[in-house]
Amino acid sequence: MADRVKGAFDRLDRRQFLKTAVAAGTAAAAPEVLGVTKALAQGQANTLVIAAPATPQGLDIEFDVSLGSIDSLGALYEYMLAYEKIPDPQDPNVQREDTGVHPDKKYGLALRGRLATDWEISNDGRKATFKLRDGVRSNWGNLFSAEDVKWTWDRKFNLKGQGIFQTSVLGLKSPDQVKVEGPMAISFNLEKPSPILLKQQCNLANPIYDSKKIKQVGSTDDPWGVKFLQNESAGFGPYRLQQLTRGQQAVFQARDDYWDEKPFMKTVIMREVPTSASRLSLLQGGAVDIAQFLQPREYQSLKGNPTVVFDAVNASYMIWLELNAKIKPLDNVRVRQAMNLALPQEEIIRTIYYGLADPQKAPMPYIYPMANLDYYRYGYNLEAAKKLLAEAGLPNGFSTTLSYNAGDPTQEPIALLYQTALRQIGVEIQLDKLPAGVFYENVTKRQKPIIFYLDSPWTPDPGYSMFLYFHSKSYVDYSNYENPKVNQMIESGLETLDDAVRKKTYDEVQQMVMDEAPWGFIAYPKYTLARKANLKGFTYYTSNNLRFQDFKRA
Amino acid sequence: MSKVLSFLRIVGRIARVRPRFVVGYVIVLVAILAGLLAPAIAPYSPIEADPTQFLEPPSWKHLFGTDAVGMDIFSRTIYAPRIDLTIAVVGTLLSAVAGSFIGALVGYYSTGRGVRVWASYAVMRAADVLQAFPVFVFAIALVASLGQSIQTVVLAIAFVNAPIYLRLMRAQVMSIREMRYVEASLVAGLSDLRTIMRHIVPNAMGPVLAQLSINVGWAILLTAGLSFIGAGVRAPTPEWGSMIAMGFQNVVTGQWWPSVFPGLALAITVFGFSLVGLSIEVVADPVKRRALVRDLARVSLCAAPGAASLSAKSTP
Repeated sequence: MADRVKGAFDRLDRRQFLKTAVAAGTAAAAPEVLGVTKALAQGQANTLVIAAPATPQGLDIEFDVSLGSIDSLGALYEYMLAYEKIPDPQDPNVQREDTGVHPDKKYGLALRGRLATDWEISNDGRKATFKLRDGVRSNWGNLFSAEDVKWTWDRKFNLKGQGIFQTSVLGLKSPDQVKVEGPMAISFNLEKPSPILLKQQCNLANPIYDSKKIKQVGSTDDPWGVKFLQNESAGFGPYRLQQLTRGQQAVFQARDDYWDEKPFMKTVIMREVPTSASRLSLLQGGAVDIAQFLQPREYQSLKGNPTVVFDAVNASYMIWLELNAKIKPLDNVRVRQAMNLALPQEEIIRTIYYGLADPQKAPMPYIYPMANLDYYRYGYNLEAAKKLLAEAGLPNGFSTTLSYNAGDPTQEPIALLYQTALRQIGVEIQLDKLPAGVFYENVTKRQKPIIFYLDSPWTPDPGYSMFLYFHSKSYVDYSNYENPKVNQMIESGLETLDDAVRKKTYDEVQQMVMDEAPWGFIAYPKYTLARKANLKGFTYYTSNNLRFQDFKRA
Repeated sequence: MSKVLSFLRIVGRIARVRPRFVVGYVIVLVAILAGLLAPAIAPYSPIEADPTQFLEPPSWKHLFGTDAVGMDIFSRTIYAPRIDLTIAVVGTLLSAVAGSFIGALVGYYSTGRGVRVWASYAVMRAADVLQAFPVFVFAIALVASLGQSIQTVVLAIAFVNAPIYLRLMRAQVMSIREMRYVEASLVAGLSDLRTIMRHIVPNAMGPVLAQLSINVGWAILLTAGLSFIGAGVRAPTPEWGSMIAMGFQNVVTGQWWPSVFPGLALAITVFGFSLVGLSIEVVADPVKRRALVRDLARVSLCAAPGAASLSAKSTP
C-alpha cells in the first residue's frame, strides 16, 4: 500500500500536483457548498435550497426578529387569519397580500380563515369573536383548541418582549380581555374599538403556539417555554424543524399531517452564506434555488441569464435617518428640514439602489392604505437648505456624526453621498461605522445624533405604522420625536372604525410628521428575490419574509 | 558635483549586483512622492462623491476608474500613502523607540541578582504574553477598546510591534555588555544608563534598523487590514485597505477596478519596504556586507579596462 502511494507521488508532476492541491483545497474550504450541490444533484426537485445571509438566531418571535428567524416563522407556525392573495400589479409572476380597503368585503378587508374559520365583530367594535378550525394538529400531534390562542396571548402579557407592543397597539390591558368562549371559540374584548383587530391576526408576530407541548416541556422556572422555543417550534404550520445548526444551516421538513394543502417543497435547506457575492455565485452556479438579499448591483448582473431571474416588488421596507430630536442642533425643526433638503434621494436610488427602490415621500410604507405622498415637501435643494440653516441661527453650518451599520453595504455609500452634499451647505458629518453586532443597540439607546434605520411595520395599517415610529411612548420612536397632538391623533385613529375618518386623521398626522421631519427620508427599497427561473410561487408579504410553502418547481 | 556622481556610480554598481535593492528604494520613493505631491497631481478630490460618475471603468478621464459613489480611484490611490505611510512609519518608530529602550534595559540587567533581574524577567514574560496573541486579533481588540481613529491605529501598531524590538535589542545588548569597552566605560565612572545609551545601544542598532523597514511594510498591511474590516480609518479617508473593502464586492459583478488598483498599490509598496529592509540587513550584517563589497569589487574590476583578461586570469 505504501509503495503504491509512493509510486503515485513519483508519477505526479508539478502541474498535476498543483491541480490536485487546488481541488483538495477547494473541497476542504467549501464542504458546505459541495454538500448543497450534492443534495440538489440527487434529483430532489422537492427540495428547496436557500442561500441566506444568516441562519435563525432564535425561533421565538418574542425575542428574535432577525432575517433567518422570520423566514422560519411563516413555515413553522399558523395564524388565525391571512390576507387573500392577488397578482402583483407590476410583476404578474409574483403574488402578494391584498391589504387594500374593500368596502364590499366583510369588515372592509380581503381576509381568509386559517386557524379561525369565521369571525364576527360587535356593532360597537369592541368585541371580536373567532370560531376556530377543528382537527388541526401541531407538529407535536396535539389538537388545536381555543386554549392555544388564549395561552399565546397570555404569553405576550407575561414575557413583555415584543408581544407587549402587539397587546398595547390593540388596547389590550389585561390577559382577561382574551376569553375562551368554548372549546373552539375565542373572543377579544376591548375597552375601545380597534380597526386593526383583524389585521393583527395576520401579523407574523402573532403566531399561535401549541400550548400543550410547551406546558409539557416548560419547567416551573420557564413556564412560557422561552428556552424550548429558542431552538424548537411548537406550532400548527406546514413545516417542522428538522435541524438547526446556527452559523451553518437550518433544515425544515414538510408535515404530512398538515391540515391544509401539503407543501410542494418537502425539504427546505437554509444555508448560511454570509457574503452576498458568494450567494450570487451559488445561485448562478445552480447550487441553490434562492439567493437572498443580494446587493442591488448584483441583481443587475442576473439580467440576461436564462436560468436565474429576480423579482423586485414594492415593499413595506423603509430606510431613513433618525434625526435625534433631543440632540442639538437637531432639536430645531428647521435644521431637520434642512437635513432633508440636502438628502440626494434620487441620486441615492439611482447610484446605490440601481432603481430597486423608490424615494420615501411619506412617514409610512407607500404600499399601505392611506399613505399620502403629497405632503413630502423636500427634494434636493441646497439653497433652500442653507436658508433654513441661516434661519435656525447656523449660517455657517455645524458638525455632527452620522452612524451607520457596517453590516449593511448600502449604508456607507449613502452616507458618503450625503456627506458630500452636506459639505456644500457647511454641515460637516463624521462617519461613524458601527459593527453590525452593536448597531441596533446604538439605535435603541437613542444617543446618536443621526443614525440609519431600516425597518418595516408588519401590519399594513397607518395607525399601527404611525404608532410604532412616532408615538412618544412607542419603543421604536428612536428619533425621540414627541408631539402631544400627534400622539393624541394616532391614538384616536386607532380607536376609530370609520375608514373615511381615519384617513382624514392620518392625513393630518402624516402632514405634521413630514413638516417636523424627525427622519431624514431616504427610500422605499423593494423586496427583491433572486431565484432559479423554474421556481414559481413567490408571494410577497408585508412582513418581508418567505413562506416556503408558496414555492413550486415548474 | 563629484560627490553626487560618485554616489550615483555606487548606486549604479549596487543596481548591477543587487538590482532588487534599487527597485525597493524606487518603490518607496515613488510612494512617498505620491503622498507628498498628491494635492498637486490628483485630478479630483479624494473625498468628494460624484453620483453622476459611479463605477466608471478606467479611462483617460478617470485613470483608475471610479468607485460605487463616484470617487476617483486614482486620486484616492495616490492620496492614500499620506495616511498609510504616516500611520505605519509613526507606529513603527514608536514601537522601535519604546521596544529598543526597554529591550536595552532588560538586556543589560538580565543577569546577576536583585530586583532589576526580576523586573527584566517580568518584562520578558509580559512580552511573551503579548506575542502569544495573533497580531491582527490583538490590534482589533485594541482599536475596539480605544475607539476608532488614526491615533488608535498608530497605537495598536506600536503596541503589537514593540516586543519584536524589545527582543532584538535585548539579545544584542546581552552580547555587547560583555565587551571590554563596556567594562572600560564603567570603570571610567559612567553610569549604567550613560553606558547603555552611549556605548551599547549605538552598537546594537543594526538589526533594529533592518527590522524597521520590514516592519513598516507589515504596519501598512496591518493598517489596511484593520481598515478592510472597518476597524481602521473612517470613510471616506483615502486609505488602501478601506478602498479595497469598499470595492471588493463589485469584483463579482465585473467592476474590478475599485479594489484592484489600491490592492496593487498596497502590494507593491509593502514589497518595496521589504526590499529596503533587506538592503539594510545586508549593510548591518558584516558577513552579508562583505559579500556585497566583494561583488561590488568584482563589478568594478569587470568595468575597468582589461578587466575581462584579469577576470579570466583570476578564474581557476
